[in-house]
Amino acid sequence: MRELTVEGIRKSIGGVEILKGVSLALKAGEVVALLGQSGSGKTTILRSVAGLETPDAGRILLGDRVVFDGSQQIALPPEKRGLGLVFQSYALWPHKTVRENVSYGLKLRKAGDEETKKKVDEVLERLGLGSMGERYPHQLSGGQQQRVALARALVYRPTVLLLDEPLSNLDAKLREEARAWIRELILRTRISALYVTHDQVEAMAVADRIMLLRGGEVEQEGSPQSVYEAPNSALVADFMGSNNHLSGRLVSVDGDFGTIEVAGGRLIGRMMGRSSIGDRITALIRIERVGIDRTRSENGLLLNLETALYLGERWEYVLAGPDARLRAWSTTPLAGQGQYWVDLPQDQLWLF
Amino acid sequence: MPSSAGTWGSLALPIARHPVRIAGVALVAIAVLAPIGLVLYQSLLSGPFFSPAVQFSGSAYGYVLNDPEFYYALRTSATIAVGMSAIALPLGALLAFLMTRTDLPGRFWMEPLLLSPVFLSPIVLAFGYVVSIGPVGFLSIWSKAALGFVPWNLYSLESLIIISGLTHVPHVYLYTSAALRSLNPEVEEAARTMGAGVWRVALTVSLPLVMPALVFSGVLVFLLGIEMFGLALILGDQSGITVLTTYLYKLTNLLGTPSYHLMAVIAIVIVALTLPLVVLQRHLLRHGNLYATVRGKGMSGRPLPLGAWRWVALSLVLFWLFATVVLPLSGLILRSFVSTWGEGISLWDVLTFGNYAELADYPNVVRGITNTVLLGGGGGAVAVAVYAAVALIGHRWPSRFVGVLDYLVMTPRALPGIIAGLAFLWLFLFVPFLTPFRSTLASLWLAYTVVWLAYGMRLISSALYQVGPELEEAARVAGAGQARVYRDVTLPLVKYGLLGSWLLIFMTFCREYSTGVYLLGPNTEVIGSLIISLFGSGGLDLISALSVINVLLISVGLLLALRLGVRLHA
Repeated sequence: MRELTVEGIRKSIGGVEILKGVSLALKAGEVVALLGQSGSGKTTILRSVAGLETPDAGRILLGDRVVFDGSQQIALPPEKRGLGLVFQSYALWPHKTVRENVSYGLKLRKAGDEETKKKVDEVLERLGLGSMGERYPHQLSGGQQQRVALARALVYRPTVLLLDEPLSNLDAKLREEARAWIRELILRTRISALYVTHDQVEAMAVADRIMLLRGGEVEQEGSPQSVYEAPNSALVADFMGSNNHLSGRLVSVDGDFGTIEVAGGRLIGRMMGRSSIGDRITALIRIERVGIDRTRSENGLLLNLETALYLGERWEYVLAGPDARLRAWSTTPLAGQGQYWVDLPQDQLWLF
Repeated sequence: MPSSAGTWGSLALPIARHPVRIAGVALVAIAVLAPIGLVLYQSLLSGPFFSPAVQFSGSAYGYVLNDPEFYYALRTSATIAVGMSAIALPLGALLAFLMTRTDLPGRFWMEPLLLSPVFLSPIVLAFGYVVSIGPVGFLSIWSKAALGFVPWNLYSLESLIIISGLTHVPHVYLYTSAALRSLNPEVEEAARTMGAGVWRVALTVSLPLVMPALVFSGVLVFLLGIEMFGLALILGDQSGITVLTTYLYKLTNLLGTPSYHLMAVIAIVIVALTLPLVVLQRHLLRHGNLYATVRGKGMSGRPLPLGAWRWVALSLVLFWLFATVVLPLSGLILRSFVSTWGEGISLWDVLTFGNYAELADYPNVVRGITNTVLLGGGGGAVAVAVYAAVALIGHRWPSRFVGVLDYLVMTPRALPGIIAGLAFLWLFLFVPFLTPFRSTLASLWLAYTVVWLAYGMRLISSALYQVGPELEEAARVAGAGQARVYRDVTLPLVKYGLLGSWLLIFMTFCREYSTGVYLLGPNTEVIGSLIISLFGSGGLDLISALSVINVLLISVGLLLALRLGVRLHA
């Protein structure tokens, strides 16, 4: 069953088109990440679903209930939609205790005192906030505030949970821990979630499906693995990971593979776009796929080692030659200066 | 599809229509435009609007625009406005720089004192000067005894300009110091590391960055100069110096019959001068605040060491404080404790508490004091509630009505109190169902509330501005309607802001005098308007005692505000 359906929503603000007809569907229990840079329209989609923005056109349905229909001039106010929303800033009410913050939604739904207490205790316990009920938000750490925000959005059991960059105010270490338990929590609660983020790692970690947005349109949609490993465009490839770029000319094509002339040598790579022979072409390869060795590589370039950076769990090397500058990772230190063969596996070298 | 879903017009984006909000805008429009409209209507009549034979005519304009006295008043107003800006701007800017950026001794505790002239009533200050350095003031008599002559003449245009200039330094200081405080000191430190000295940094880095604030306060001081009434009446009247407002005031007595049509014309002329200034202010506030964004995280820069100059700077500040606060107030206090004063009188022989005891003999004076407290305390609280309601009308409402509301709110700013009071007097005479309220405090309250609408709204808006939109949105998503959100989230969060606004409005209403001048009658006396009316009969004993009581009332408000940590400006 579909919990949320968005059909072709459009929105312009001050003559600028923020959303150019975006559609999406959220199945029961599914987590979808809206991924994109700032200005891609991801937050506008979320706020339109919540009822905090009114699109110019399109339809939004929760289950089979129409909450927005541009052609019929229907727009339910946010309080009538029954959703849960976790804000980037958490938006905890500073004048209410944790318990008052969490129980507010139940109070509005006229739940009895006993029922309210039971549900609030339950959700606070589940989120590890059992002893925090009487505290005020400013007495909590960032991580605790973040969990209160989640508790507040979950306590009245909304059908769809909306999360707007919920982890971006946490420091890097905490963020890595939080994304694991937030995924667990969503799965355990069996709630459907729409998750907005600009961090591709977070999107891949948390979501069942990623919708990559660019300029108010969906650029690519699919499982985290497919978006990461089979990007539609160089832009998607660049957004999803850290890449090396080479610029060359396509000299021959054989099935899925093509040969390019680059930096004085020839390399074979996988054809990702529709280029024809003679075209200028961009070749991309993820940094983690680049190999580095003294011995000759079949599909590789001989480059000079320029810089070595020690990063703790690995080394990062910068190698350069005429018309080529590549980064590579290795867990072992290289034996001194000089020239190295940089191996670029043909399956991993994408030609766009 | 539930039918309760609601539809919306093409105008207001989010969802529903807003009948309550639109009705609120309409009410504000009536409260603001009715008095102004009435003045405009009256200016186009051949006589007072209530006289039976009245007809539309431009004769009133003809009379005023052919009166040489009018042009004299216009010139004087302009001279004063320019002169006081020329004094207040450099001194205010210098004071702000000294207080926010240097190691001036006493900078941590002096601020409330520096701001006190803003909260004191101009007529109280004016009387303070009269009893201190007027022809028979304490200092004048003592100076005559010591030197054989008085080296100053209080009742001259120069004195009027100097005094109004000095008493308006805090207005410039307020805006400039706020701008300086919001400016990251690192931009100044950067200039110092490149080898610029203290004064060079001040002139080439700080000054240009606070220029918008300076321009804004310059326009403000000029506007206050055009609107000036109390200082000009009390210091200028003796020697025949007339400004626009006192010209208007004296017309009341000049011709035997009420010359409402002539007064209306002068009011229109004044508003024609002040309204563009108010619009300019608004424009500056909107578009001039470009540099406020030059913020950084650490604002605690090291103060610039003034070295030996710090004592020179301190003397300058203290001298200014003496001239604007100590001099008039000490004179007032002293005068309120003597039975009479003049040449050849020994201070010890005339000391008395009698002036205060005597206040009780005048029922109107007693009423004036209670009315002032009632109007400031109770009326102030109701006014804050009204301002809060108006502010909530425009709060995050994406509609062109909000633009209309903005203009409506700032319009009364162009009405000097005396004109607003006159307009409301006419309104209460003109509108039948309002007439019974004419001689009650309700008439004063309404006039005060409208006159200070822009100020009050700025106080409330700056409190509302602190409430992040997502705090309200979170409550909406959780299931609360708009009214519920205001009740549960917005208002509780601005509680302290409202309390602070109430204290500031209390002080403002206590200090207000000109609005009450034309509304003065039995039961509608307030301290300020009583002082003006007593000024005509010259009861200096009563005036001094009343003034001291007024200063005490305002001091209580100020001390309470300081105690609660209220920001003294919006």
